[in-house]
Amino acid sequence: MAASRLMSLGLRWTPFAVLALLETWVAWDLLAVPDRRWITALALPFVTNLVFLPLSRGSHRRWARWSGLLALGATYVVSHAFVLGIQVLPALVFVSLLIAQVELRILAERFAPLFLRPITEAQQRQIQAALLRALVRLTIASILAVAIPLLAADLATAGVVPVTTIPTALLLSAALVAVVLILALLPSLESKVEWVSGASSEPRIPRRRMDSASKVKDN
Amino acid sequence: MRTPLSSGLAAAAMGLLLLGLVLRSWQVLLLALPPMIVLALGSLAPPPSPRIVAFRSLSADRTDAGREVDVELVVRNEGPPLDLVEIADVLPREFAVLRGTNHAVVSLEKDGTLRLAYRIRSPVKGDFVLGPVRARSFDPLALGVHDVVLEVRSPLVVAPAMEDLRRAPLVPRRTRPWFGQVASRRIGPGTEFWGVREYVAGDEVRRINWKASARLERLFTNEYEGERSGDVVIVVDARRESLVGTEADNPVEHAVRAALGIADRVLATKNRVGLIVYRQVIDWVPLAFGRKQLYRILDHLVHAKPGGEWRVSHVGLVLSRFFPRDCLIVLITPLQDRDALTAVIELAARGYDIAIVSPSALEIERRMRPKTEEDRMAYRILAMERANRVAQLRRVAQVVDWDPATPLALALRRMTAWPRRA
Repeated sequence: MAASRLMSLGLRWTPFAVLALLETWVAWDLLAVPDRRWITALALPFVTNLVFLPLSRGSHRRWARWSGLLALGATYVVSHAFVLGIQVLPALVFVSLLIAQVELRILAERFAPLFLRPITEAQQRQIQAALLRALVRLTIASILAVAIPLLAADLATAGVVPVTTIPTALLLSAALVAVVLILALLPSLESKVEWVSGASSEPRIPRRRMDSASKVKDN
Repeated sequence: MRTPLSSGLAAAAMGLLLLGLVLRSWQVLLLALPPMIVLALGSLAPPPSPRIVAFRSLSADRTDAGREVDVELVVRNEGPPLDLVEIADVLPREFAVLRGTNHAVVSLEKDGTLRLAYRIRSPVKGDFVLGPVRARSFDPLALGVHDVVLEVRSPLVVAPAMEDLRRAPLVPRRTRPWFGQVASRRIGPGTEFWGVREYVAGDEVRRINWKASARLERLFTNEYEGERSGDVVIVVDARRESLVGTEADNPVEHAVRAALGIADRVLATKNRVGLIVYRQVIDWVPLAFGRKQLYRILDHLVHAKPGGEWRVSHVGLVLSRFFPRDCLIVLITPLQDRDALTAVIELAARGYDIAIVSPSALEIERRMRPKTEEDRMAYRILAMERANRVAQLRRVAQVVDWDPATPLALALRRMTAWPRRA
């Protein structure tokens, strides 16, 4: 039981830790902006994000959570795209961390309540295996999300992929848009709910009568 | 099925892509790649459609409120391996899970099984159905899901808890010709001495009063007070007005508990019991003896939920058509409106013998409210109104003003005899 509670605590607090790291990161970047007008303009989405995130925590409102993250990401992208300039590796790490934070929060919401109840050893093992598998997938996705763009940038700057002409640049952009659309739209073409008729309510353990219900003892 | 996260990632990728093209910045364009890569990884391993079967078994299909029931749900995967599947056994909201869990997120191999064992308890009575089982297969990156609903349903009847009224002095005043345990104030078969009369041929020898016979030099026979049975009709007021408090602590729940305890007690003393329930419909059980009648009454009480806008005076219509006039009517009502007062006076005028058990909605409400000065003042005014109503009713019937936080037996014990002698 103790191990499961520890796991639950870790799982619960990791998304908050990642979010705190991202908030500090953006705040630090804002401090480095030299122009006051830009600071004022960028402070607006940043403060919006700071307001929305506790609101989403307190009221469990999904729109507030999404708006907060959008404001945080927008502050970072705009500050770097227009003022500070984009350094590829930190920017990729930031975007990957932002995605990982959302993934971790979803995992935490899905798994953490399971560890708060007394469950059997077998159930605990099964649940932990599933959680481990999910975390491994997430780690791989995060690493690839940083490594592949770096590799692409390296190939592009080395001139292996010619993107300097207008037709090739247009073709590449069109291809990227098409990929995004395919990735986004494919899952929505599938049916939402399936009704399975292979269910059964046949009892596996013998039913006891009403008068013997009181004899059920704790395991 | 697409999740909000996949839509968000696609939108972010598209936004960064467009921004990069507008700004002609390859660095911004590059930032569109991480969301696309995560989406691509999710698309590489989409969640399979679950083909699973489930079996549920219960340790009891009938139980009492507040008593625990063990549930075992076995889920078997008959389809492709499920990388991550969330399974939830849907329970009615009245149930609390005390031990184990009815919800798990696990991996299931082909022909793999998951056993969820848990213990539930409902504090309120009712005719419940456990299920269905919901399964959601999703990829570990939470980008797509497949939902399946398994129609596995198990009925579970939760009977109301019974008040212990073994010592309650509860007997009908008027008796019927059948043998029972109620002193009938008539000569007949019984155990209580009634008087002595001269011996007539055919009297049992064991009933001869030898002392009186010796003193008066003639044979005399003892006579006893006949013990007979009576009829009791329990009327439960489960109208909408009676719903004050929480799901487990409201006058209707307490009225049902009291009705069951009274029915049990009256049937145990060999009397006939009938039932009328005022709910969405007027529901009644004709008079009968025995254990089977208790189960009949129990079945009707299990379905008693607050509802309906009936007037209490309608009880007279049901009583006059389906029940004899010389029965004792036990009206269980929180006395929320003056309608009950006029109805009881009408019934008493028609010659019915009436006793009232009134679970106090006022006390229930007081326990739920904070103790401010205004609340105390309001309580005092409402308590006076209620006391006034009870005093008016006591002219025609005996009233037990019952705070449901205390046992009903205690409230009945404060009465010397209940119902009172005419």
